[in-house]
Amino acid sequence: MMPSSVELYPVNNFIGDIVRSIFPQPAAAVINGLLALLSLMALVGSLGAVLIFLERKVSAHFQLRFGPMRVGPHGLLQPLADGIKAIFKEIIKPAGADTFIFFLAPLLPVSAAFLVLAVIPFDHHLQVADPAGGVLYVLGVSGLSILGILLAGWASNNKYSLLGAMRSGAQMVSFEISIALLMLLVVMLSGTASLRGIVLAQEGTIFDWWIFKLPFLGILAFIMYLVASTAELNRTPFDIAEAESELTGGFATEYSGISFAMFFLGEFVNMFVAACLVTTFFLGGFHAPLLGLPLLDPLLKLIPGFLWFFAKAFLIVFLYMWFRWTFPRVRVDQLMYLEWRIMLPASLILLMLSGLFVAQGWVG
Amino acid sequence: MNDFLFYVIASAVALLSLLAVTLPNLLHGAIALVGSFFATAAIYIMLQMEFLALAQIALYVGGIVVFMLIIILLTNDLGVDNSLSRVSAGRQAGKGVIIAGLIAALCIFFTSNPSKLLHDATRQAAPVSIDEIGIRLLSTSNGFIVPFEVISLLLLAALIGAVVLSRRENKTEEKEKP
Repeated sequence: MMPSSVELYPVNNFIGDIVRSIFPQPAAAVINGLLALLSLMALVGSLGAVLIFLERKVSAHFQLRFGPMRVGPHGLLQPLADGIKAIFKEIIKPAGADTFIFFLAPLLPVSAAFLVLAVIPFDHHLQVADPAGGVLYVLGVSGLSILGILLAGWASNNKYSLLGAMRSGAQMVSFEISIALLMLLVVMLSGTASLRGIVLAQEGTIFDWWIFKLPFLGILAFIMYLVASTAELNRTPFDIAEAESELTGGFATEYSGISFAMFFLGEFVNMFVAACLVTTFFLGGFHAPLLGLPLLDPLLKLIPGFLWFFAKAFLIVFLYMWFRWTFPRVRVDQLMYLEWRIMLPASLILLMLSGLFVAQGWVG
Repeated sequence: MNDFLFYVIASAVALLSLLAVTLPNLLHGAIALVGSFFATAAIYIMLQMEFLALAQIALYVGGIVVFMLIIILLTNDLGVDNSLSRVSAGRQAGKGVIIAGLIAALCIFFTSNPSKLLHDATRQAAPVSIDEIGIRLLSTSNGFIVPFEVISLLLLAALIGAVVLSRRENKTEEKEKP
């Protein structure tokens, strides 16, 4: 039997210590867990607003417009207005739709994002849980968002929705293979599958991050991971799932009001989660980008780790947005060609090559 | 506290598994199945079998259920109530009594008779780290290297097969085009 006072994933930062000093042990574990979950909820809620605002502004500036400007200074309060509008709009359920699945489906992509955020190391001790097989967990839980999209497409009782859902399911399942192989590469280099362990394995200067550590291979893996994760996020250039000119809105065609907003939120938070994973796997997570210079490095180290983490993650988010407003959409067959004929063999070869590097001891 | 949590999760597993096999709508059944997989993973976590829980989520929720859903979505007459032909209540009750009796007998056997077998099993099942599993899988002296390699070969063959299949389709499409 497991002793009841043990916290499986203890909160190690100062807030956890304060809670433990105030409350007796069994209660402290529960309160710490609840606090961690509450902070994640706050993060998900605020991220949605920030990311949607960012996307609108970035797209506007790419197209030489200003974007939202009226509500608040520079349109800063626009997400709030959008949120209130979405909440008060009527949710229309199509005739013949399956009620339970129709209302369940929008919740799944957001829950997937939420669950993955729980294992992301934002700073040295700013992580809800650190399972030893964190990478496995990430792979498994992200399946929930595929589930949500498939169910939404079917429950809408609409041919465009179902077509969009099937396309999206096929796309996400195929690109998950490349993503898993590239994650395996990182796990192999770090010698651990815990996300915190992966970040700690990249400690040192900027040249110890996995993107720069392996000559040429790291940057290649980084680029392939970016492409595969863009495809898994269903974002342009790979947004054939909701290609609006062919499928009106894909799986989300029949959704309105807050249930559409949930899909929207899920999509954006999942983008941030993907950016967090790229940061963790390739860009050294919460480590400062030290250059090995004697004067600059102590200054860079003064900035707390979570700020570095968010800076890197938002840089990747900006890259995703840049892709979206620069590249035209690919066709379905081109997408599958890319995965099965190019990405899959390439990631297998990459994996073998880096295996050789590890076996020869050429990696740190 | 832990015991209470265990009963909550265990009853959730039982209820969701029951729903998975009795619901007339296949998709509802599949969703109940996802729920029961998650609850089972929670039980593994309570037993400190972290790797088992993660593998359960990664394989079943992330992989198998998605494929099951795709297959279900491709079938016809989904919304229609096509529950199986009803078995008479007496027969169902009879089966229930037999199964309940067997389970009760097992429970009584293991609780009243603290056998050495059970004790050894619980002692061996102490928390296993992911590293130990990896080393055990790949060690040549005392491990499972041969089955591991055979399975990976099989999976590689399946992967290459998928690539070859998709390739042939592409060629025929190109020929059809004027």
